[in-house]
Amino acid sequence: MERRQLAPGVFLTTLEAEKFNRCRITIHLRYPALRKSATDAAVLPLVLERGYAQCPDMTALSRRLARLYGADLGVDVGSAGVDRILSADICGIKDRFALGGENLTAAYADIVLGILFDPYLVDGLFDPEAVRIEKETLARRLQAEYNNKRLYCVRQARRRFYGDSPAGIELGGYLKDLPAVTPATLKAEYDRILSVASIDVMVQGADAGRVAEMLLDKLARVKRAPVRFASPLAMPITQPRHFREEIPGLTQAKLCMLFTTGTPEDLPSITVLRMAMSLFGGSATSRLFRNVREKQSLCYYCGASALRATGVMMVDSGVEPGREDQAEAAILKELEALCTGPITTEELDDCRRSLLSTLDALGDSLGGLESWYYGQILRDEALAPPEYGKVLFNAVTVEEVREVLQSYHYSVCYAVTAKEGAQ
Amino acid sequence: MSELERIREKAAAAVNCTGTTLPSGLRVLCRTMPGYSTVHAMYATAFGSVNRAFVLDGKQIDLPAGTAHFLEHKMFESEQGDAFDFYAKTGASANAFTSYDRTCYIFSATQKIDENLDILLGMVGKPWFTQQTIAKEQGIIGQEIKMYDDSPDWRLLTALFRCLYQYHPIRDDIAGTVESIATLTPELLYACTDAYYRPSNMVLSVAGNITLARAVAACQRAGLDKPWPEHRVQTLLPPPEGPVQQKEVAFTMPVNKPCFALGYREAPIPRGDTRREVICDMLPDLVCGGLTDLYRRLYDEAMVNPEFSGDYISAGGCCAIAFTGESEEPRKVADLVRAEIARLRREGIEEELFTLVKNQMYGELLADVEGVEDAAEEIGAAYLKGRSLTDEIEVLATLTLEEVNQALQTMLLEENSAYVEIRPTGTDEEES
Repeated sequence: MERRQLAPGVFLTTLEAEKFNRCRITIHLRYPALRKSATDAAVLPLVLERGYAQCPDMTALSRRLARLYGADLGVDVGSAGVDRILSADICGIKDRFALGGENLTAAYADIVLGILFDPYLVDGLFDPEAVRIEKETLARRLQAEYNNKRLYCVRQARRRFYGDSPAGIELGGYLKDLPAVTPATLKAEYDRILSVASIDVMVQGADAGRVAEMLLDKLARVKRAPVRFASPLAMPITQPRHFREEIPGLTQAKLCMLFTTGTPEDLPSITVLRMAMSLFGGSATSRLFRNVREKQSLCYYCGASALRATGVMMVDSGVEPGREDQAEAAILKELEALCTGPITTEELDDCRRSLLSTLDALGDSLGGLESWYYGQILRDEALAPPEYGKVLFNAVTVEEVREVLQSYHYSVCYAVTAKEGAQ
Repeated sequence: MSELERIREKAAAAVNCTGTTLPSGLRVLCRTMPGYSTVHAMYATAFGSVNRAFVLDGKQIDLPAGTAHFLEHKMFESEQGDAFDFYAKTGASANAFTSYDRTCYIFSATQKIDENLDILLGMVGKPWFTQQTIAKEQGIIGQEIKMYDDSPDWRLLTALFRCLYQYHPIRDDIAGTVESIATLTPELLYACTDAYYRPSNMVLSVAGNITLARAVAACQRAGLDKPWPEHRVQTLLPPPEGPVQQKEVAFTMPVNKPCFALGYREAPIPRGDTRREVICDMLPDLVCGGLTDLYRRLYDEAMVNPEFSGDYISAGGCCAIAFTGESEEPRKVADLVRAEIARLRREGIEEELFTLVKNQMYGELLADVEGVEDAAEEIGAAYLKGRSLTDEIEVLATLTLEEVNQALQTMLLEENSAYVEIRPTGTDEEES
């Protein structure tokens, strides 16, 4: 692994990829989210993915990728606490597998850099037709949230939990803001992102020197003023608030419980946090899986996860309508038992073994290794190989895990359930 | 070297799979992947949800819907304890899944590979069922069934199969119903394992940091290297299907946009007929995949989401191609797909599109053997279907446009189609 700075706020990381059939190039642009342009930011990846200056037509681009033996191109936006990450990645087979001896890897770099830095513009703005179409696509996606009740329940809980906090800005944008998105507002958001973003390029199995040259050439045309990563935050501690929504025709109720640390100070190490989640509800040996699902048959799924940068822990589960209160009480009882009751070395070691195995496996996929290193970059940590993570996992104690779990306070419970008397 | 030999060599190098058949009849396949840390193993039987009736040593056994899936859950338990607990001691990540035509038990691990293989072969090889443990599982699976009941995609597919098939068990949900699994007994489950968990009906496929010799050694420790006492088993097939009985169905669900499926019943694919399988796989992409003008029109005119797609489903005695998506104008989309199929049948498929779809599929196959999980699961699944991944690459390279155009003359026929629509609750009454 080698990471080098190409310019202020621009880094390139090269990762070993000899054993893989494919190679991969990913470009991450991390920037602060703004409520007023959240919907522009959500439309942007859809418009960018349609094509770029050298290949503006969506179908022509799809055909170009197919000609490269089905190279995978993706443009997406994700979150890192209050910040957002606009990412473009391309993954395709290595030259030696090309049936016609083509030079594929050079084409991958051209496409992924073109997508982010040479968008197709009409009179200096995004193509109005592409913007119109992708606004409609986003509208349909936002409306489709309701069709997936698990996702819908989690998002409704998050909305209650974060309220107007910057951490609550919707990643997918807002339906009501869509009419105001225009080629000009989209271009303004694009320019803002390019200007303020921290740029990280991850190269696996392609010519990193060529990628660096091309990137610097493209950035020479951009007025850059990179900003620092946003600080962590946490929602204040409140009395637990319960919300219940009845949906006629629903067969399985969904329950989402959110907890807050109440303070962004003293962030737990990611290693201890992962051990704590694994023990509570993140594995097949967790307390929630063993007791709430297996012993009590209360839920089909019941898992716990946490986000360090926003001090939140989430438990989501699928339960039989009418048994939501029982499931909620059982989940809280398991948390309480871990906070105040015994935790055996055996169960902690079970979780540790599973997580160590996950670390061992990181090097076996292009995406796994990239996520490991980019995760460290996002947390502003010095880069260390997965072997160092294993040393840290081996050192985690019962007391540290308990301390992390004790730091969470129950805040919001959102239940989506069948209409009373419908079952 | 001829073009075919060159392709064959490239395919073999890309897949790099070795295998052997043990005296018990078990097929062991291995893709050793130098430089990898993980081992992924799949122990699978050709027994899925569509296996619903068989004769075992002269006695006919009829199974309720959901039996194969129920069995999958129960195989993790033994008199000694839960297999998840054993895996927890090795650090492996384990799981299982049931499809229409197979049940697969899997683990991924980087340590204690021999121990993990012993757990896998032991848990599947020594079934243990009691009335009490069956009763406990009925609660958990009941919740799983309800979760799928709320999934529009799953409900669409099940409703589509109910239209296309009058007798075939693909009509029933893989997990069955709360009522059907309530009738299961230890005796029925033991009959299934006697009939279908025989080594000659199974495959052990491994990939990653492992050799074939190591996998075979694990089989020897499990006693799978000796001839196996065979039960006489005859799988009973449903009667032949007549014309599609129900051409359309509509029902309501709590969704905010109509969902639809347009499906075609096709002739079942004979085991090992890789060419037919590849044609079924590529046809949906040729009709309305992302490279087609039709997809572009549907997308740009906001008639479908990016998730709109076509797929094929093949299991013992049945095969179907389905186009599914969400749309404000579902019937219009279905009509456009129908019209495109008719046009392609009349005018033929564009040569460039055909070549590009083949290229794409070749890239996907190489991607499948790059990760240890996909590699182990794909080589095992291909074996259960009577082929190898190398066969697939060869077929892909040698398949001609003429063959596909010819196949299209007898496939995707209107008389074998059905249409299903889910409407948002409150917008309409059910039609049937």
